[in-house]
Amino acid sequence: MKVGLDTLLFYLFAFIAIPFAYGVLLDRKIIRAGFLLIGVFSAISGLFLLLNAQFLAMAQIMIYAVGITLVVVIALMLTNPKSEDDISPLNNWNKIPGIVSAFLVFITIYMSLRAENWTVRNPGQLMQDNITRIGIDLLTYFSLPFEFASILLLVAVIGAIMLAKQEKEITQNNSDENFDKEELTSEDKNVIKV
Amino acid sequence: MSSKSNILGLAYILLALVLVGLQADGFVQNLLANASWNHVAAEAGSRPTFLLAPDLADVITAFVLAGLAILAIFMGANVAIVASAGTIFSFFVLTVNQEPIIRYMTLSAVLFVIGMYGMVVCRNAVRVLMSIELMLNAVNINLVTFAKYIDPALMRGQLFAIFILTIAAAEAVVGLAIVLAIYRNMATVDMDRFNLLKW
Amino acid sequence: MTVSTSTSNKTQSYGVQSTGPANIVEIFKFMRLTIIWLSIIFGAVWGACWLFGVVLPACVEGFGLPAEISQTIRYFVPLVAIMVFIPINAMFMVLFERRALALFTVRKGPNRVGPDGLLQTAADAVKLLLKEDITPRGADAFMFTLAPIIFFAPSIFGCIPLLAAATGDHRLFSIANLPTGIFYVLAASSIPVVALVMAGWASNNKYSLVGGLRAAAQAISYEIPLVLSLVTICLLAGSLDVVEIAQQQVGGFLHWNILGAGKLLAVSQASPITFVTAPLLAICCILLFWLYMTGACAEINRIPFDLPEAESELVSGYNTEYSGIKFAIFFLAEFTNLFVVSAIATVMFLGGGESPIPGFLDTGFFVSVMGTLNSLLQPVPALQWLLNSLVDPATLSCVFWAVTKIYLIVFFAILIRGTLPRFRIDQLMDFSWKRLIPLVLILFLAVAYLRELV
Repeated sequence: MKVGLDTLLFYLFAFIAIPFAYGVLLDRKIIRAGFLLIGVFSAISGLFLLLNAQFLAMAQIMIYAVGITLVVVIALMLTNPKSEDDISPLNNWNKIPGIVSAFLVFITIYMSLRAENWTVRNPGQLMQDNITRIGIDLLTYFSLPFEFASILLLVAVIGAIMLAKQEKEITQNNSDENFDKEELTSEDKNVIKV
Repeated sequence: MSSKSNILGLAYILLALVLVGLQADGFVQNLLANASWNHVAAEAGSRPTFLLAPDLADVITAFVLAGLAILAIFMGANVAIVASAGTIFSFFVLTVNQEPIIRYMTLSAVLFVIGMYGMVVCRNAVRVLMSIELMLNAVNINLVTFAKYIDPALMRGQLFAIFILTIAAAEAVVGLAIVLAIYRNMATVDMDRFNLLKW
Repeated sequence: MTVSTSTSNKTQSYGVQSTGPANIVEIFKFMRLTIIWLSIIFGAVWGACWLFGVVLPACVEGFGLPAEISQTIRYFVPLVAIMVFIPINAMFMVLFERRALALFTVRKGPNRVGPDGLLQTAADAVKLLLKEDITPRGADAFMFTLAPIIFFAPSIFGCIPLLAAATGDHRLFSIANLPTGIFYVLAASSIPVVALVMAGWASNNKYSLVGGLRAAAQAISYEIPLVLSLVTICLLAGSLDVVEIAQQQVGGFLHWNILGAGKLLAVSQASPITFVTAPLLAICCILLFWLYMTGACAEINRIPFDLPEAESELVSGYNTEYSGIKFAIFFLAEFTNLFVVSAIATVMFLGGGESPIPGFLDTGFFVSVMGTLNSLLQPVPALQWLLNSLVDPATLSCVFWAVTKIYLIVFFAILIRGTLPRFRIDQLMDFSWKRLIPLVLILFLAVAYLRELV
């Protein structure tokens, strides 16, 4: 049996992606889990290259592996300021149903995949005009979803800023308190000097 | 403790390697073909027994590998090592003799299921969001596979994948903003403590 | 006023009456140093490519091995070229920067090691390699080691498509060309930020962490104007292929993308509107070039955008805890990134390897030089053969101009470093989100319309 380069690379990327995905779930230090997510996304972008989707592979690296993961890591750093260790699971009751359901879902998907008769077409014409095709389709047949996606992004950006922004009253109070404290401390110093 | 768990993990990897080798050698298939129930069925001219047929030898090997992994974890082995090794070996056994399209889609199913498990079990809200990203990526693999093997002329799968990419970005941003807002109010990101609307 | 008088007093007290003539000597020395170093670098790279791309395959075929092997060896020529190029080039760029900064501040710069300070950075590199490699207590050792590698690797793989554009699609380098060229380069150049955050977190040091977070915020903000300006140029050129974009700009500086890709020459009485639109397009493209350079300066953390490693605030930012070879790798990658960014600017805006004025030191000139050399070497056929197999005049002129332009941009970046003060962090974010991004979006629309109108 002749093993092609494609097969070898596929298993290489798969064997990178799977342990890293487990690392995302199981790593004790949650910020390291965030960095492991980059490994998963990079391996998946390699898979996209094997599947002749160059545009998606690059977009995967730019958007997922750098953009989203950095945002996730920064959120992790903001929400775990004191201890980098994750919350220890107190109650294990949803672990076993989780394993069982995951196992059942996987078996179902796999057996139905195997039972299906796939009519595979020759992917020869996919290689050349990949990006041209995507561009033409996005601006003709899929122009409406494309516009919706842009509006969704705009709404998401505004919404995220509104959600993450501190409420005004709180900031004012904080600044007032700080101001008071500063005044107090300076007065204290003066007192001490006197 | 840690040395014991690592040794158990290594032992599991060695055992799994032996099993995979036996499977590749055709040992399991022969065992099943020569098993008494299948023998009887073949002589009677009927279908082989469900799930224990010789052509499902790889599935049975994968089941055995998964069972051994669970056993090793209960004995106290390193969870990350055993889980990833078990998944890798089962994945290899299940896909090595299949078409490329089934390989890609099985990998997608594995990543999806890992993400699903994480979404159900993890208690840190940010980790739950990371699991959701994993699931979305698994779906993307599936769509791109379809674009290559089923629909190479139109490549609609890649277009869907692009839209999923966009929506995932929006979802991550909004989700993290919500987590930050909750963290500011409750000083925790523990999913079990987000129970203001309970009862 | 007081400052200027005090400095003039100082210069008088040091006995330097007028800085003019002395500085001209320094400028001459600086030029000499640059030319010597660049010839060393490109001699080495050229020789390595020749050995790997011509001699080795010829030997392999001479031994009767199959042609596939020699072809496979040829595929690796771009990688070999970059591997040879990056370390020597970074060494030179450090010296170049120090000498140029010395010029701007009327100093001498490093001038003791070797003739004229030529070997200063080689000595520095040896010193760095001999230092102890320290991992701080409490650091995540694996991530700490991984971060410099992730920082450095994209600069190797990222600039491969640019190599094809800078050599004029030479047959040994055309394998490096990709249909998605510029997109690939951008994807690769976005990776180092991850390494900065990783380094900042893994160092277990507050200064490093703040530096890493600042790097992340800054890179995410400034990547948008950077990418959008390049996307606009791709829109103007109608291609993502760097070689194609470079070849579209042949024929003098009026054809370069920075001046509207030759649309200025399309001005005619027949359509009077072009008298307005063509100059407008040129202005848009110049603004895009400025936007690109701003975004690139922020992306590679150079002054005035060096907040992640601001010495006065954060000790040294994300690389506070690094020492020895890991610090050397960070240093190497920073300068390589500067080179890559300048190379992108050269290919996308400044016509790649084309002469700015047709007929001035272009391919024809190099061909005639080759002819003269050939006739001189007539009596020694072996040398003549060597010359002809070693030098390809078209590629030589291409590389000559590409390198000249790239180093002019690097010089410009150093000039900016010597001139501008550092941004404040809130000004930095404001500048990107409230000014640069709206501006680049407007320019995108403007170019999309003007391109059709001209």
